[in-house]
Amino acid sequence: MKHLLLRLEPIIWLLFGAGILVGTLLLPGYLLTVTLAGPLGILPADALSYDRAYAIAASPLGRLVLLGLIALPLWKGAHHLRSLWIDLVGASSEAAVATLLYLVALVGSVLGLLAVVGL
Amino acid sequence: MDDLQNKTFVVTRFDPDRDAAPRTQSYEIPCRSDWKVLDALNHIKDEIDATLSHRWSCRMAVCGSCGMNVNGEPKLTCKAALAGYGDVVEVAPLANFPIVRDLVVDMEGFMEKFQAVKPWIIEAKARAVEEGPHRQSPEQLEAFRQFSMCINCMLCYAACPVVAREPHFLGPAAIALGHRYNMDSRDEGARERNAIFRGEGTVFSCSYANECTEVCPKNVDPAAAVNQAKLNAVIDWATSLVLPRRGEE
Amino acid sequence: MGLSHPDAMRPPRPAPTRAAPPTLPDGFWTRPRMRRYLLFDATGIVYLLVGLVTLRVAWALAAGPEAWQGLQASFRHPLYLAFHALTLASVLFVGVRFFGLFPKAQPARLGPLKPPPEPAIQAMLYVAWGVVTVALLVVLGGVWP
Repeated sequence: MKHLLLRLEPIIWLLFGAGILVGTLLLPGYLLTVTLAGPLGILPADALSYDRAYAIAASPLGRLVLLGLIALPLWKGAHHLRSLWIDLVGASSEAAVATLLYLVALVGSVLGLLAVVGL
Repeated sequence: MDDLQNKTFVVTRFDPDRDAAPRTQSYEIPCRSDWKVLDALNHIKDEIDATLSHRWSCRMAVCGSCGMNVNGEPKLTCKAALAGYGDVVEVAPLANFPIVRDLVVDMEGFMEKFQAVKPWIIEAKARAVEEGPHRQSPEQLEAFRQFSMCINCMLCYAACPVVAREPHFLGPAAIALGHRYNMDSRDEGARERNAIFRGEGTVFSCSYANECTEVCPKNVDPAAAVNQAKLNAVIDWATSLVLPRRGEE
Repeated sequence: MGLSHPDAMRPPRPAPTRAAPPTLPDGFWTRPRMRRYLLFDATGIVYLLVGLVTLRVAWALAAGPEAWQGLQASFRHPLYLAFHALTLASVLFVGVRFFGLFPKAQPARLGPLKPPPEPAIQAMLYVAWGVVTVALLVVLGGVWP
């Protein structure tokens, strides 16, 4: 397990880097509209109607952005939680925790890809 | 005239022949206002307690000998002014290192990591004398000059949370030094070092806490070096997948 | 004094005298700078959760109008609003810290490529952040198309 993690570190780091950079760029605009202004009723009535939202999400760029909003934060989250675990608890148990966290990120990313492709 | 002010120094003591574990001992001494912590330690050793052991040499922050934890922060004691502290100053050995005696730590673990990154110019073929010296532009020098300023004081190891948790981690100074050679235009050993950087002491253990840079007394910015090294190591890994090297599968 | 990992900075061969184990100062994990770093790592839980919640958004879009209305209704719940507000705060915190650290992590040269000066990189990051955010506000906020 430790050996596998060591060999995968470069790709994990790349996914984490993309997650923190692109994920952080994309999240504020999405959060402000879809998760905050929308539910609070501040947006125009049909801004997030099903038809409009679906049309945006199903466009090529929309699918890409939606996939980015699902997958990228997962890798950033998994990697940082692994680091937090090591800092607070120690490195002896980290291989199992890291594997679990990256599996969550991987499964979530795959499910996100399937969802976005299936729109 | 300088005004003397009494300060109390709570100093870690440990004699392996007498003590089961490190303990502290307090010394109250009159201090000059312009003293550094090292001056106080030397006064204690010279005038009060000759059994106190601590490392020091140049007194001017270039040799890297006098690193200790002062009030919990890694400092060069020759550089840490007493004026920056209150009436009680805690002086402990560098964090994250085994303690040999009093304020003296075992440096051999650091020397091992240091040597592991092959901190010398690696050339595929020894340069012939007739070829003359290497020529290096100011721009080529700038690519690594900052990282060559390390005085091996090990304050960064005392500050790094990953060093505290992961024994195999190469650590800030060693990685910065390896990166210094990777970025040196005269060097041809980047592939070897990047393989070491992806090995057991992996640079990817670094979580970019930036503590090493915060405590570095020579503005080496080891955090920058380590994180630059990550990118280089990833690119090296990617190219090694596509273009296997001679002698590898 | 707390203890580091017992093998931290261990010498390769046993030392001639008995050494005391490596130590950590009492305030190591709780001093302000370290707290900020631990908070930075802790935002990982928020990012992990928001990724999973956004997966739910994609599923609702794929399922149809009723699922979408249901999702929007649940997003109105105070707990969801609080979570998303916390996520926004976390993202801003992460962005500011990360954009500050990103420029110096670029090597002086990658083959023939040289990065722009560090202030320029940081400016470009913030500009990109602004442009992407405004674009998303415009599209998702109903302004255009």
